[in-house]
Amino acid sequence: MKPGRLIGKTILAFAGFLAVFPLLWTALNSLKNNVDIITRVPRLVFTPTLANISYILGRDSVMTGLCNSVVACGSAVLIGVVLGLPAAYAVARYPNRWAGDIQFFVLSLRFLPPVAVAIPLMVIWLQVGLYDTLPALIITYSLLTISVIMWLAIPAFQAVPKEIEEAAFVDGYGAYSVFWRIALPVAARSLAGAIAFSFVLVWNEFLIALMLSSSNAKTLPIVASELSQQGMNVPWGILNASVVLLSLPPLLFLGVLSGFLNSVFRQKKT
Amino acid sequence: MARRTSLPVTFVVPTIAILLVLSMVPTLYAIVIALQNRELSTPDYSWVWLSNFVDLFLDRRFLNAVWVSVKWEIVTVVATMVVAIGLGVLMFEVASPRQRNVYCLLFIIPVLLPRVSAAFVWKFAYHPLYGIATYPYRLITGGLIFDPLSKPATALFAVASVDVWQWGLFFAVIVLKLLETLPPQPIEAARLDHARRWQIHAYVTLPMLKAPLISLMFVKMIESLRSFDLIYVMTRGGPGVATETLDMYAFSQGFIESGKVSYASAMAVLMMIATVITFTMLWKRVQA
Repeated sequence: MKPGRLIGKTILAFAGFLAVFPLLWTALNSLKNNVDIITRVPRLVFTPTLANISYILGRDSVMTGLCNSVVACGSAVLIGVVLGLPAAYAVARYPNRWAGDIQFFVLSLRFLPPVAVAIPLMVIWLQVGLYDTLPALIITYSLLTISVIMWLAIPAFQAVPKEIEEAAFVDGYGAYSVFWRIALPVAARSLAGAIAFSFVLVWNEFLIALMLSSSNAKTLPIVASELSQQGMNVPWGILNASVVLLSLPPLLFLGVLSGFLNSVFRQKKT
Repeated sequence: MARRTSLPVTFVVPTIAILLVLSMVPTLYAIVIALQNRELSTPDYSWVWLSNFVDLFLDRRFLNAVWVSVKWEIVTVVATMVVAIGLGVLMFEVASPRQRNVYCLLFIIPVLLPRVSAAFVWKFAYHPLYGIATYPYRLITGGLIFDPLSKPATALFAVASVDVWQWGLFFAVIVLKLLETLPPQPIEAARLDHARRWQIHAYVTLPMLKAPLISLMFVKMIESLRSFDLIYVMTRGGPGVATETLDMYAFSQGFIESGKVSYASAMAVLMMIATVITFTMLWKRVQA
């Protein structure tokens, strides 16, 4: 093997190591007692403990945060699906002179700095009396999920072969049943990727949740970030365990999302 | 498919109407608040028109935040693109198809993590005494202390490294997929002309991918605006104001320190105007 290739392979292997090792190390630390974490030389051999994890799972604040996250993200994604998918289909299949403007508008929502949305919304929700409630969070997150799902679903619907839909029209299907029975099932795999992506996006969201909640509606990222502020003795093991809990749901979608990425680029090739 | 049907109207109008309401109401209201002198502590307020904006331009901490934000934007975007192109080309050159699949899966993991998680993972790793990332330094120097997050000179780069860890690796996967979509003939032709490997990429493949790479950079520029989570968890804008970006400063003015909602909102409005103008212009150029 040429030395150049060997160096290249080494760099790649190191990058791969760097990609996962910090996370694995965190997972390992979540199984350690504090004595085994606070060491000048990192310890690989230790007596594992489940105390950190059971402490995390036993705390009310963590459980409330987990429930809030699941409810807020689940509802927002559901709203995004119900409103975003049909709109994306209409833009993809019935382009009119506004189609370009609609796409740009949907994309431009992503330019808005989150602070610029969160500050006025906080004042609005305070005035309406919905501050620190899940409905307020869900409505705010819907803006994110609808626009992201629309943005990703338009190319997914465009990739459905037109001939299939034409054939269905010839068979006497109406426009709505073509959408419902043909376009949706055919594009299902790409759409699943888009939906998973929008879920990960709102699950990971931090700034808006931080500004729109004070006690009742805190989501898991907020609760996790607060654990670090408990007292002088940082409970490292507990913090590591909460990071692991917070990171697990998005990682469950790893397979779906990498498949989605592949399908996007396969379309480009053909 | 020019069929007469009500589908486009029933599918598009409600969604766009809701999106318009959800986005325009806060945006316009942000401007309204910015022209008043609201504070969180009292419900009273009056109209002060542009005085918040005048104050901002006299506020040295605000000007510092603008500078930090610009630095953050440049450092993260450039570093992400360099890492992405470097690793993407490397995978294309030296990895077998099976290895490519493994690397692609590994490289997507960091970007899926919540920013809060990523920030914590690296905050532990950068701990001067017990961190795994500072361990090699302690080992080599025989126990000297290196604390990247609490030095003004290194703090911004230490936080930026986490951003690049998430996005650079992810974009490397996309660069690889883009390279794989290229037709093989130009590469073969260059090879027959005895071009070196790096020359093929510098003069043939990467120029062919100019348009998608610019779009990729555009996406990264937008995502880099969302630095708040990382900075909030890792440094809180510190040490001093060394990593205080605009959103961090707006947050601390509006919530932590003084509850000056209007002042914070004026800052948010300026950010909004700057980003919307910049990105609309860039977008039109990318499309053209």
